[in-house]
Amino acid sequence: MGLLNVAQMIPHSAVNGPGERFVLWVQGCSLHCPGCWNPATWSSRPNQMIAPLDLAEVIVSTPRIEGLTLTGGEPFEQAAELAPLAARVRGHGRSVMVFTGYELGELVTDAHQALMVSCDILVTGRYRRAERSLGLAWRGSANQRIHFLTDRYGPASMPATSECEVHIAADGRLTLTGFPPPALTENH
Amino acid sequence: MSAFITLALPLSDQECLLAALAELGFGANRVEVHDSPVHLTGYQGDQRVQRGHIVIRRQHVGEAANDIGFERSPTGFRAHVSDWDQAHGYGPEWIRRLQASYCKQDKLKQARLAREREDADVETRRAAAVQVRRQAEDQQRLVAAQRRAVYEKARKMGYRVQEERHQGDTLRLVLVKRSY
Repeated sequence: MGLLNVAQMIPHSAVNGPGERFVLWVQGCSLHCPGCWNPATWSSRPNQMIAPLDLAEVIVSTPRIEGLTLTGGEPFEQAAELAPLAARVRGHGRSVMVFTGYELGELVTDAHQALMVSCDILVTGRYRRAERSLGLAWRGSANQRIHFLTDRYGPASMPATSECEVHIAADGRLTLTGFPPPALTENH
Repeated sequence: MSAFITLALPLSDQECLLAALAELGFGANRVEVHDSPVHLTGYQGDQRVQRGHIVIRRQHVGEAANDIGFERSPTGFRAHVSDWDQAHGYGPEWIRRLQASYCKQDKLKQARLAREREDADVETRRAAAVQVRRQAEDQQRLVAAQRRAVYEKARKMGYRVQEERHQGDTLRLVLVKRSY
């Protein structure tokens, strides 16, 4: 099993799927959607290289989380590394949600299928700037689709709100996640 | 995908900002520092509404340039660069270079204070400890100001804020707005 190329992690987030979640942004995405929130995650150059099962141990030992959310970057471009990690997290009773820029019909390889098997919620589709909306739960543009792959969640699990999160570090630096309005992404 | 956006470290430390400007070619002889903010001056000698505590006068910026100013605010120094100057070498790329240099100067300052706190000389140790304590108080004020600014923006945009302290000193603000 190869190493996972990780861009960022937040151990606790309330706006990246149902409940309190560990969120993992993978490094590397070949889709390059214009207007993407996270262009710094496009490059596939090694960033933080981590053994998937070591990271799984960190995730399952994180207190007070309902599950793991995989985003990026493009999770399905590292499906072979993420599949065993997701399976381990699910094996500990936690849920798994994945944001992908691919359409469901494009996820056809064995590695893709192996990751999907451990996935409770899948949000699919390219980010399309022309269809951008901040009023949609868990989606950045209206073309994207939410698939409930297990019985664990359903449409009732979706928040009736648009959500974003601001983390203020001790040095005053701000980190934003979720689906923030542009006014929040400026320093003043 | 969900966003992960880290905003630049606020330019809150005057000493680090002056060192960063010096690294970009604006040393002490080309920069004015004022206790109270002064108006910036335009390329025709006209007084601008923008003010700065730190000012680079237009003759040091370039031909037909306007003054560049940095105005102190509770959330850090705010840069005032005219549209003309932004289009002539002092745009987002220059601000990025300034922020990168500021981060470097901030790290150098922390390392220097850490060394001085271990110094053999009692006076040096004491002075460093006082400065570290002052910095910690400044950072607490900065975090409080950032929190107020987020609340204010959230209120204007119709978001409710749920607040929680997380992971040591990190403050988490969840902004929610009913949308459908």
